Amino acid sequence: MTDLILKMGTVDRRWIFLVIALVVIVPLFFPLGLPIRATATTQHVYDTIDALPHGSKVLVSCEYGPSTKPEIHPMVLSVMRHLFKNEHKVYVTCLWPDGQFLASDALNLVGRDEYGLTYGEDYVLLGFRPGNEAVVKGIVSNLRKLYTIDAKGTKITEIPMMDGVNRFEDFDFLFSASAGYPGTIEWVQYAADPTNVPMSTGTTSIQVNEVMPYVSSGQVQGILAGMPGAAEYEALIGVPGIGTSGMDAQSVAHLVIVLFIVLGNIGYFIERQRSKKY
Amino acid sequence: MQLQKVFRKQQGWQYSIFAIVGFFFAIIAGFFYKGNPDVAWGTHVTADGTLFKWIFTYMFAPLQATMFALLAFFVASASYRAFRIRNFEATLLLVAGIIIMIGRVPLGSNISSWFILYLLVLIGGITINSVFKNKQYTAIFVSVGIIVITSAGSSLGWPLDQPGIFYLPYLQEWIYKYPNVAGARAIMMGIGMGIFATSIRYILGIEKSYIGE
Repeated sequence: MTDLILKMGTVDRRWIFLVIALVVIVPLFFPLGLPIRATATTQHVYDTIDALPHGSKVLVSCEYGPSTKPEIHPMVLSVMRHLFKNEHKVYVTCLWPDGQFLASDALNLVGRDEYGLTYGEDYVLLGFRPGNEAVVKGIVSNLRKLYTIDAKGTKITEIPMMDGVNRFEDFDFLFSASAGYPGTIEWVQYAADPTNVPMSTGTTSIQVNEVMPYVSSGQVQGILAGMPGAAEYEALIGVPGIGTSGMDAQSVAHLVIVLFIVLGNIGYFIERQRSKKY
Repeated sequence: MQLQKVFRKQQGWQYSIFAIVGFFFAIIAGFFYKGNPDVAWGTHVTADGTLFKWIFTYMFAPLQATMFALLAFFVASASYRAFRIRNFEATLLLVAGIIIMIGRVPLGSNISSWFILYLLVLIGGITINSVFKNKQYTAIFVSVGIIVITSAGSSLGWPLDQPGIFYLPYLQEWIYKYPNVAGARAIMMGIGMGIFATSIRYILGIEKSYIGE
């Protein structure tokens, strides 16, 4: 038995790749249906958005790309569903260029196709502007100077829902869907905290560590942490999506990686004991 | 640079052809050919039916997603080969990592805290056996542990998330909210003070490395 464990420690890494591929693919075809329970941070985001007064102006900022789409896109879709269901006005900006494509897809899918809403009256895609935190500061001070036209080339002055929206303080809430820099932290530092406009965020799992101090201090109202956070939000709004379908695969993959680590360490201890003996 | 590689037939010149073709393809899609005549220049970048949007949806997005997805395989392989408990800090890191990895996903929220308690008794038994090398002590410890946990669980009705300290989702939230935030805040303050100190040095002319001195 110990020889077998030691032998496994020198296994070709392609076998590990194969095992990981199988544990990810199989649950996608044969779902386990594991129940999803919302964590306190996800529940906080849900409760904050649910408590917004009817017809609130909500700024959704999309700063993610195709590489982080599986984690962030499901939460953007769920948040948009929640906002449109409660009949809020949704304004979308992007601090990443890729974000504009994905935001456009999300708005078309949820706003146009699912809810049958009207562009310019119920939702608007302001689009991407280069400049990182300078864009955030520009939105805070004078949004109309930064955005003279929206992503479709329409003048801001000709968009009905832009009436009365001149700077960041005219929004009632901000949701930042962020995969890195610039993103949540820049929104907190330059926009939400100085103006006291409430904000929540959804980030990749790896970014949660960086953002958690802001959540703990109350500067950010909850956080959707990666794909699990997206799946929890889908469960809360009652519309399962990509996040939920990916959870079985992620659960099994995490378990397998933990087993690999434990097995590797068992082999390491056996080897260490043998070398001490001899 | 890529053209040079192709002309001089340097190693990997065939891949440079893809780079050059991709470059010109993107230039054409961005500046010369829209694909959808009803869309204005500028907005053609994200409008439906344009060549640029097609490139993003069917080439760039899948390629970027694939590159990122490769990480999963390399993380698994690297964890298996390199993650070793060599000292106390590595043990702490490993245990915290396992708690968060399992506690964060639905699987973790379906693992009863009583299962974790039984696991801890088993690990405790292994530890006692390796320290004292006495089978009697090990047997007593494991038996008493199992009896206590089973009695407590039976009397409480085996609630999934109690005792909370052994429920993985609560544990992982605690790790995120307290030790992680403490460390992250310390790092942020250190970075902030470092930026302040370096800026003062630049302003006062003490630091001259940026001008080559």
